[in-house]
Amino acid sequence: MSDAEQPAESETHDHHDHDHEGPGYATPQAAIEEAEPEQTAYVMGLHVGQDVDAPDFLAVVDVDPDSDTYSEIVNRVQMPNKGDELHHFGWNACSSSCHMEGLERRHLVIPGQRSSRIHIVDTKERRDPELTKVIEPEEVYDHDLSAPHTVHCIPDGEILISMLGDADGDLPGGFLELNDDFEVQGRWDPPGEIEMNYDYWYQPRQNVMLSTEWAAPKTYYPGFDLDDVEDGKYGQRLNFWDWEAGTVEQTIDLGEDGLIPLEARFLHTPESTHGYVGAALSSNIIHFHESDGKYHAEPVIEFDDREHEGWDMPVPALVTDILISMDDRYLFGSNWLHGEVWMYDISDPSNPRKADSISIGGYFGDIEQVQGRDTVAGPQMLQLSLDGERLYWTTSLFSSWDNQFFPEEAENGSVMLKADVDPRTGTMSLDRDFLVDFGDLPEGPARAHEIRWPDGDCTSDVWQ
Amino acid sequence: MTEVLLDWQDSERTETISVPAGETILDAAAATDIGLPFGCRTGACGTCTARLLSGDVVHHRPPRALKDRHLADGYVLLCIAEPTTDTHLAVGATVQSELVPNPWK
Repeated sequence: MSDAEQPAESETHDHHDHDHEGPGYATPQAAIEEAEPEQTAYVMGLHVGQDVDAPDFLAVVDVDPDSDTYSEIVNRVQMPNKGDELHHFGWNACSSSCHMEGLERRHLVIPGQRSSRIHIVDTKERRDPELTKVIEPEEVYDHDLSAPHTVHCIPDGEILISMLGDADGDLPGGFLELNDDFEVQGRWDPPGEIEMNYDYWYQPRQNVMLSTEWAAPKTYYPGFDLDDVEDGKYGQRLNFWDWEAGTVEQTIDLGEDGLIPLEARFLHTPESTHGYVGAALSSNIIHFHESDGKYHAEPVIEFDDREHEGWDMPVPALVTDILISMDDRYLFGSNWLHGEVWMYDISDPSNPRKADSISIGGYFGDIEQVQGRDTVAGPQMLQLSLDGERLYWTTSLFSSWDNQFFPEEAENGSVMLKADVDPRTGTMSLDRDFLVDFGDLPEGPARAHEIRWPDGDCTSDVWQ
Repeated sequence: MTEVLLDWQDSERTETISVPAGETILDAAAATDIGLPFGCRTGACGTCTARLLSGDVVHHRPPRALKDRHLADGYVLLCIAEPTTDTHLAVGATVQSELVPNPWK
């Protein structure tokens, strides 16, 4: 079913003729047309899991090709404590805050995955952001939650964070809500609606939220153990929520096709019920959509395991990140172990068509050198320019999993790389002039993880 | 008070610290400005994993990051571990990475 055939505008929302007053852009197309090319990137930088005795940091990266410091880390905000494992982060406001006059997309909410500490950084000065508040772990544990992951603003100015475990790092996970003063408001969901949690995305005009499943923190924190998969300790379900009520309406068990469903992306078009989830371990891309009042989900892209010379078992691609271009035309993804970034044309969402891919070397293919620097791990977190013409990525997944699969990353640090994308022809080419080297920092080599733009991005902006 | 010899697995570095009764090895090391890897500080994440070469420790909370086979092999979590005798420990980030090998290799 195409979007054009979807029931038109929901009767419960009347946002289409309003004046846009709050932060962000009126529509995804407005984001493409009105945004300036990105000049500054915020990137999570980590020392956790290394013998580098220093805290994790927010890196400010210059991505303005006209600048003298292009592709350099021009500033860093060090966290006040060590051991956080900064991972995913988000904005206090996005395009869904369209009625919140006076609200600005200005504060980054930066959780520590291992510490359960939550940091608030003010980016009023884009190249000189400032840490303004820290929520200590005990305040999070008070709500029997730990291991904060995905941060989205929600339309009323508040902030919702998916939490992967209870206070002991066991199950169930849930959601923590912060108010617009960045104070812990409490738990958003009734405890026990879900067991496992990971990423989530909401589509307010459809009154739906989708959450995915990794595992209990105590399961994934130490490393990836196949015994845990056999014991059913890793997720394989999609949970579809009633967004207003905060309750799970439908759960789809994907079985082996959906082992470890990680990143969840709805199309940006606010009317759409289509989207994708990357099932990391089974290395499938799951397409979901609503019809007849129910959500349906099935694999639409399948990456085959590959034999590695001298190894016991074929190696999965491990799809660790996906994103959808702002115009909803392309799906991009990263196969961390196989070492590839790829793009598929999703004009027909149920039938993705491969457009292009680049191998930079993971366990397979040639290890790419960029400016003389070897890449020491496969591509991982992705971010795309709003105009869809520049794809950036980093190479670290999670410190203990990095140490297990790409141990050189701890010694040499991550790189941030870029490909030029031609959306018209559906092609990508590695930009050999662009390299951000996280291996060369004062305290020692660092890992690099998620990337965000000050003016909103393809993996955080939602429209109400 | 017990004496703990910290032995960095991948280098020549060693340090000896004194751990007062009731205190964890991680806290005692931090009190003498010796940085060891750590994460959750509750025994769930395993970032602070060390391996006991001699001596004994008790964990203040269940060491949830460690499986039975790890405990049998002498792995301990420094964020919740208190020594009960003088102790010799292999420490550093590489100890954690021994817990789970690459399953495909």
